[in-house]
Amino acid sequence: MSPKKLFIIPPAVTPANFADAMQQAIALELATIPTYLSTYYSINRAQDQDALYQILVGQLSIIPGILPADIPILAQELKVDILVYANKSAALIMSVAIEEMLHLALSSNVKQAIVQQAPDLLSISKVLNFPTQLDGHEPEFPINTAKLTLNQLSTFLQIESPAPFVFPPDNGLVDMQVVPYQTIGAFYNDIIACVEANYPGPYAPRPQLLPPAPQKARPYYSQNSVNTVYYDRNHNPQFASTDDGQELIGVVDAASAIAAMQEIQHQGEGNIQPDQTRLVFDPVTKMPIPLPVVDGQVHFRPGDYDENGELSHFAKFMEIYSLGGYYQQKFAAIPGLTDFFSYFVINQGPNPTQAVYDASGNEALALCSALGNAIFTYILLMIETCYYQEESTQFAVFMYGIHKSMIWLLSGVGNNINKYNYANGGQTYLGSLTFEYFPFENQLSSPKAQIMDLVNKLALADPKNWGWLTKPQYDNYWPSLPDVGLDHSVVPNVPQIP
Amino acid sequence: MADTPTIVKELHVCMGLNSCKANGYSGTNSCAGMGDCATINHPCHTLNECKGQGGCGLFGTTEEFCFPSQNDCRYQGSCGSPILSSRFVTQGPNKGNSVWQLARQRFEALRAGTNQPVGTPPGGPFGPSNTYVNELRGTTGLDYSSCGQSGSRHCSYLADPAERAMAADARVLVMEITSAAEMKETLSTCPPRVY
Repeated sequence: MSPKKLFIIPPAVTPANFADAMQQAIALELATIPTYLSTYYSINRAQDQDALYQILVGQLSIIPGILPADIPILAQELKVDILVYANKSAALIMSVAIEEMLHLALSSNVKQAIVQQAPDLLSISKVLNFPTQLDGHEPEFPINTAKLTLNQLSTFLQIESPAPFVFPPDNGLVDMQVVPYQTIGAFYNDIIACVEANYPGPYAPRPQLLPPAPQKARPYYSQNSVNTVYYDRNHNPQFASTDDGQELIGVVDAASAIAAMQEIQHQGEGNIQPDQTRLVFDPVTKMPIPLPVVDGQVHFRPGDYDENGELSHFAKFMEIYSLGGYYQQKFAAIPGLTDFFSYFVINQGPNPTQAVYDASGNEALALCSALGNAIFTYILLMIETCYYQEESTQFAVFMYGIHKSMIWLLSGVGNNINKYNYANGGQTYLGSLTFEYFPFENQLSSPKAQIMDLVNKLALADPKNWGWLTKPQYDNYWPSLPDVGLDHSVVPNVPQIP
Repeated sequence: MADTPTIVKELHVCMGLNSCKANGYSGTNSCAGMGDCATINHPCHTLNECKGQGGCGLFGTTEEFCFPSQNDCRYQGSCGSPILSSRFVTQGPNKGNSVWQLARQRFEALRAGTNQPVGTPPGGPFGPSNTYVNELRGTTGLDYSSCGQSGSRHCSYLADPAERAMAADARVLVMEITSAAEMKETLSTCPPRVY
C-alpha cells in the first residue's frame, strides 16, 4: 500500500493560510501519536523472567563447544539485556507519546487563541490512515503503525530529526548535493515568523487547556507516570523525563504563542546546536548510523542534552535505536539464539485495518479493534470538547474522561487485542490497534452509547477475556465515561462534576 | 423485623491511615492510625469511588502526588489502594521517594491540626509490604502493588528467586530509609494544592 498524504505544508505561512497552517501543525502532532503508541503496545515490558531464562538456557544448551558451567551465566546476562532494553525502550517511547499529546494541546491553544477556532481533531482523524507521510517534509518517507524494529525506529528518527537529512541514493554512493528540505522545526519557524509579523495580540479569550494557576485552573499535565519509568540492570527505577517545567501554556499574545511553539520545537527535535547528533544514513545498509555503545551505555554528544539534562525526542529515539542495534548484533553472534527483538516484541502486522479484521471471521478481534477505534476517536472528541467548555467542565472531561481513557480503556484494549491472531498476505499476525476513525455520526445514538454497545457485544463475543467489562463492580471503567456529544455537549453523567 | 442500622467502616486507603478505632481492615485497631490495612481497594487513577481514596504515586500530577489520599472527590484519586511500602512517587521533586510515608505524614498533620492522637501503624513505620497484605487478607502470592506496565518496584533481576527476593527487600528498604530521611525536604518542595 502506498503512503497516503496527510497534508501539504505550504511553502510559506501567511495570514491568508495561517488557519490552515495551524490545523496542519495540529495534524502533524496528532499523526505521530498512533505510530508511537502502536509500537509501544508491541513491547512486552515485564515478562516472566524465569520463563525467559529457561528459553535462553535451552537455546544455549545446544550450542557446540559452550561449557555447561557458562550457560547459566550467559543466559542470565542475556535475560537482563532483554528485560532492561524492553522496559527502557517502552518507557522512552511512552514519554515521547505523552509529550506529543502536550504538543497537540499547545498547537491547539495557539489556533484557538489566534484563529479563534477550536482544533478540528475529528476531521484530521477521518483522513489519517496508515501508512501516511508528512507531505512537504523533504525527503518524504512512509510512516507506519508497526511493531518495534530498527526500521520503525529509523522512521521515528526521521520524524524527529532536528536537522535536514538526505537518504543515500540507490547506487550506494553518498550524494552530497544539497537538496531542498523542510523539517517540522522549520515549519514551526515559519509559523513563528508569521505570528511575530502579524499577530501581536492580545487575543480575545477563549477556552484553552491551561496550566495550573492558584484559585482557578487545576493541573492537567504530568511528564512522568509509572509507564515512563523503567528499571536499570540493578532494578533501580529510572525516569524517562525530567521535571523541567515544560508545561501547558495559555496563549494570550504573540510572546506566549511563540513560547508554546518553541516548547514543541525544544522537546521534539531539540534546538539545533553545535556538537549535536545528526541523522546520517549508512550508504550501504541505508539505515541510520547509530551512536557508539560502550558497556551497554550510549555515548551521546554534549549537544544532545538540553540545559536540564534531558534528551530530546530525537535523542531518546537515537538511544533506543543504537542500543537495539548493539544488542541485535550481540545476539546474532551467538549461535542458537533468535533475533534480539523476537524475545519481547509481539508479532503484530504492519498497518492493520478494521477491514482486514472484519474479513478475518474473528468476531472478538473485530469488536476489540472497533472498540479501540471508538475510544481513540472519543478521546479526540473529548479533547476538542475541552476547547468549547469553561475550565470546570474541562477538568471533568479531561481528568475523568481523557485520563481514564488513555490509561485504562485504550491501553486495556491495546494490551489485550494481541490475544487474537489473523492472517493477511499469507502471514499470521497478532492483533493490534488500527487507530482508525470511528464514524459515530453514522448512528443516531450518542458516541458513549455506541461505545457501551461495543463493550456489551465484546463481553458476549469473548466472555473469557472480556466478560468482566459488564460486571457492576467494574462500572468505574467504561460506564463512568463522561457523555460527550458530537456537538461538544457534555451531559453531567457519572461522575458528577465537583 | 425492624431495620438494623448498618455500621460501616471509614473508607481509607491504607494501613495506618484510619481516623477511628476499629476502622482498619480487620477492625481490631484500638486507635486512629493503627488500622492494619485499607478498607477499600481500587487499582488506579480515576477508579476510586469516594473522596480520600486516591493512593497516589503512579499516575497523576505533582500536586496530586504531594497529597496522597486527600483527593476531594470520586474519581479524582491519583492511584490505587492499598499503598505498599515499595510504591514511589514518579513525578515531581520527590521522584523515587515513598508514597506511603508521605500519606502518613499528611494524615498525622491533619490529626495534629485538631489535637487528635495517632497510634503506631502495625505493619511498621514505612508502610505495608506485599507479604504483609497477603498474610493479613488470607491470600497467597497476590500482587497488591497495583498500576502500571513497567513492572514491580519490589523485584530484581537475579537468577535465583530467593536471592532475588532478598535483593528486592534490600533495595526497597534503602528507598524507605532514604525517604524517611528526606521527608522534611519532601514536605518543603511539594507545591501547595491548587484544587
